[in-house]
Amino acid sequence: MPQIFSRTADTWFRAVALGALVFAVAFFAGALAFARSQYWDDVALAPQQPVPFSHKHHISDDGIDCRYCHSTVETSANAGFPTTHVCMTCHSQLWTEAALLAPVRQSLAENRPIDWHRVARVPDYVYFRHDIHIAKGVACVECHGRIDKMPLTYRAKAFEMKFCLECHRDPAPHLRPREAVYDFDWKPPADHAALGRRLMAEYRIRSPAELTSCGTCHR
Amino acid sequence: MSGGKTFWRSLDEYQRSDAFGEMLKAEFPSIFELWTADRRQVLRVMGASLALAGMTACKPVRSDDVVPFVYRPEGFLEGRTDHYATAVPFEGYAQPVLATTSAGRPIKLDGNPEHPAFRGGSTPFMQAAILDLYDPDRSQEPLMAGRPASWDEFDGQMVKWRDAWRASGGAGLRLLIGSTTSPTLLRQIAELKRALPQARVHLFDPLGGYAGGAPQRLRPKLDAADVVVSLDDDLLGPGPAQAIHGRAWGERHGDAQERMRLFVAETTPTQTGAKADRRLGIPPSRLAMLAKAIVGGGKVTLTDQELAWAKEARQALESTRGRSLLTIGPSAPPQLQAAALQVNRALGNVGRTCEVAAPLTYVPEPGGSFLDLVRDIEARRVSALFVLGPNPVYQAPGDIPFAALYAKVALRVHAGLHTDETGAISNWHLPLPHALEEWSDARSPDGLATIVQPVVRPMFDSRSLHEIVASLTADAVPSAREIVRKTWARQLGDDAAWAGALKTGFVAMPARAAAPANVIPPPSPAAAPKNGEVEIVIRPDPTIHDGSFANNGWLQELPKPLFKTTWENVVAISPRLAAELKVESGDVVRVESGGRAVEGPAWVLPGQPQQVITLYLGYGRKRAGRIGTGIGYDAYRLRSAAEPWNAVGTVKPTGERVKLATTQEQHLMDAEGADLIRTVTPAHPSALRNEEELDRTSFYPEWPEHDPAWGMVIDLDRCIGCNACVLACQAENNIPVVGQHQVYEGREMAWLRVDRYYAGEPDDPETHFQPVPCMHCEQAPCEMGCPVHATVHSPDGLNLMVYNRCIGTRTCSSYCPYKVRRFNWFDYTTDAPSPTEAQRNPDVTVRGRGVMEKCTYCIQRIEGAKVQADIENRDVRDGEVTTACQQACPAQAITFGNLADVESAVAGQRKSPRNYSLLGEQGTRPRTTYLAKIGDEPDGE
Repeated sequence: MPQIFSRTADTWFRAVALGALVFAVAFFAGALAFARSQYWDDVALAPQQPVPFSHKHHISDDGIDCRYCHSTVETSANAGFPTTHVCMTCHSQLWTEAALLAPVRQSLAENRPIDWHRVARVPDYVYFRHDIHIAKGVACVECHGRIDKMPLTYRAKAFEMKFCLECHRDPAPHLRPREAVYDFDWKPPADHAALGRRLMAEYRIRSPAELTSCGTCHR
Repeated sequence: MSGGKTFWRSLDEYQRSDAFGEMLKAEFPSIFELWTADRRQVLRVMGASLALAGMTACKPVRSDDVVPFVYRPEGFLEGRTDHYATAVPFEGYAQPVLATTSAGRPIKLDGNPEHPAFRGGSTPFMQAAILDLYDPDRSQEPLMAGRPASWDEFDGQMVKWRDAWRASGGAGLRLLIGSTTSPTLLRQIAELKRALPQARVHLFDPLGGYAGGAPQRLRPKLDAADVVVSLDDDLLGPGPAQAIHGRAWGERHGDAQERMRLFVAETTPTQTGAKADRRLGIPPSRLAMLAKAIVGGGKVTLTDQELAWAKEARQALESTRGRSLLTIGPSAPPQLQAAALQVNRALGNVGRTCEVAAPLTYVPEPGGSFLDLVRDIEARRVSALFVLGPNPVYQAPGDIPFAALYAKVALRVHAGLHTDETGAISNWHLPLPHALEEWSDARSPDGLATIVQPVVRPMFDSRSLHEIVASLTADAVPSAREIVRKTWARQLGDDAAWAGALKTGFVAMPARAAAPANVIPPPSPAAAPKNGEVEIVIRPDPTIHDGSFANNGWLQELPKPLFKTTWENVVAISPRLAAELKVESGDVVRVESGGRAVEGPAWVLPGQPQQVITLYLGYGRKRAGRIGTGIGYDAYRLRSAAEPWNAVGTVKPTGERVKLATTQEQHLMDAEGADLIRTVTPAHPSALRNEEELDRTSFYPEWPEHDPAWGMVIDLDRCIGCNACVLACQAENNIPVVGQHQVYEGREMAWLRVDRYYAGEPDDPETHFQPVPCMHCEQAPCEMGCPVHATVHSPDGLNLMVYNRCIGTRTCSSYCPYKVRRFNWFDYTTDAPSPTEAQRNPDVTVRGRGVMEKCTYCIQRIEGAKVQADIENRDVRDGEVTTACQQACPAQAITFGNLADVESAVAGQRKSPRNYSLLGEQGTRPRTTYLAKIGDEPDGE
């Protein structure tokens, strides 16, 4: 009776088993890397907008305060998107003929809103509120990055749960005095730790246990 | 001490049948019936579920569009809700509401807290009115002979008709309106009669009687009454004044110093009877006799039980002169109303516990009843009939073939929210706006008026009733707003006063002198049944009412307070009659009277008078919409114009049997040996059964103390079982409607249920209501059961549900001793027809398929209040957080707040000796506790 398995069968078997293992590990590692990638998180990608609006120009060059356009940031969950009317308070005087601003003029003339593409977005099951974060001394820059340096707006941080939790677990290093919330050039003092502790007490910031309780953001 | 009394939920349980015991052991009764799989099948299903579970989890968060305004509307704040005072109609009366809108769309209605009579109280109908606004079956454009037409075409026709009426003084023109209290409509009717003296306005009021307006009734002021004797008056049941009476009830119960004592004699069990201190079931034919026994004079033939009740009631009335009240229901013979007025006058009650006032609703002039219209159509005196609002083809009594008569009228115009039975056979159908889309006015049962203001633009191509009426005489019709403003020109002439009235939501109206009492027809003693016959009582359905709410899914799925059935009407039958006929709940019976018959499923109703059966109106609709069409039987067929509330006839089983979608035996707590419902008496004021209940030893570590510590107390003495809380919860928390078949399977989704218990003999039991939301146990068994930590505890004591973690094992639900967890067996929301999604609360997650959900203590409201307090750097104040159920409760039976704050209302209630925990012996440490009902005699022992 001849041999069923050839002499090299064992080697083949080992090679295939090893190959399968390597493939499986590579597949999962790749999938993980993809899920953690900026592409997946929409980070650093500036979507096409109807008007190539530059935060850099309006903040750094013109010195306009965030709240001029995002007017409900202190009073509501939503920061508020500027109406066409707000754009036109200046642009009825400045750059009145600029081709880039044609969609804005058209919007006002036709009373039809501009469709912007949202850059910073959290999932529907996250109930984020701007007003409370501003009131507790969390600066815009903490989540939105150096938006004053962005010619085109992109998402600076991956809005994943671990990003939120990083701060909710230990808010102190991320706090600053309320008056510096909109200041992109604010530099923490030498004893930042002490300032953080002081602000935690002064602003009555809730304990990490409460801040990380599921119901704080999900309901 | 309270034990000793046995409570039961259904007759099956009362008889302790084996099937009931088995059912109790099953978590979901449907599984108990269906689960016959062997081990292999289980493994196969498990494997497939695991493989599929991984596929659904990952979806990247992609950016979407954001569309800002061109101009921001004044006062508009993105992400915040606005509130507007207005009113929704019920039986023509105003139900003053505060409408919450989010981004311009109304999402919730609640009682107007500043209204002096309603004071924030709700009814289920008020809560459900918002769903009618988004009813996808509402009529959306004018129809001419069933085909879409435009308002321009209608206006073109109107010019011709108007010219003809002007020439003839309106001869042949008839208007048919529903019950109304609108001062503007009453003004317009008066003007129309002046402009077209030959035209006539008829009233169609199926709940007031077909022969004219409702008989004049006393307006009760329950809050001033120490003793109330009700003869078939369902004060606490559905009605325009339910929230007002509920509030008064709450104030005179619970911890009130002066308790109200309530005597109820009723022809069919009602919520009022359930709450009575002394209840008597009596057939309608003997009600007049009972009244005679109370009023005194004349010989009466009553049973000993009836005589004893009458004697006690009479003594109670007399011993509290000036603080007592005798009230008669609208369905009782009209001559009893006059007798009651006499008694209350003699006792000095008038002006204190009740008022005699002119009716607020439209009272037709002689010749203006529905029956007069029928006679005129038969005599061919009607050439044009404008049906403005009501649905007479469906709601006419069975002895008037109104559909055939209506077809004889040459010009038939119907205006309504739906192309209903009447609209379908009209030449023209005109869509009316929903109350939340229009300008109008109406009066609440206490006499105050409310200006109805729109809170959203009309969604469809509708036109206000006021504009339609105005166009009958005027060539150029002003807007509804101007028409309403003209009515109020004298009182609210300047803009500030007008704006003020809109803001507060009510206006005082000069009281009219009480009109002379209606002509009382000669007493017609209710026909006594002959041998083999039964007495038939006809009542509005507890949730669908007269049929106008038939297409409202929330109300259809709302368990009826006493039967706990949903999605259909039943024939209520007494346990003894059922035994005689060998009928059980669900057996179809045929009820015949006056040569007409209906067939419907029987419901054996404890407390139903013996030889009496009850039919419920509102079902059997042919054109209600996708929800309400074709379910239940039509009790209007058995009604007669002369005796709309009572009949005499026969009942017999047909041999058929249907499955009723009842929630009565679903989500049962295993009550073996537990005192779920407790009563206390003045002699035994403590609800605790023994000292052991105070023993807090546990294997588990104590839940750490924390401020705030949220908790709730529900006062069973105040609860009137009205279900307003259930629908408020449904509206607030985006709870889906699952449909009749899912309710059969025990899959209804309500987070808050009101359990109904009986005690004593089925012929004349005590009835108890118990609202059961999630208990938010400190030692929550569900949390110990969940394999993926999808249900966890927050430091402030909320038992949280994390939908994204839930994999749907339903272990938590089987571990929950209170059975308050609900599972999404299907995706109930994605395919919901537009525009119903616009009602959803943006602050609450819409749950997907395969996850568990349950009461959250309205965490969105807690978080909202916490954020506001944190922004202002202060603590949350007591009363700042109200749950939706608490806010809706007219009787103020629900208190919510911070238990760690000793000054808080909820902490105060916890100290009451009546306080007890549901299934406290299981050591779950519930944060929701109950206050025992107060009885006035030793119970059991």
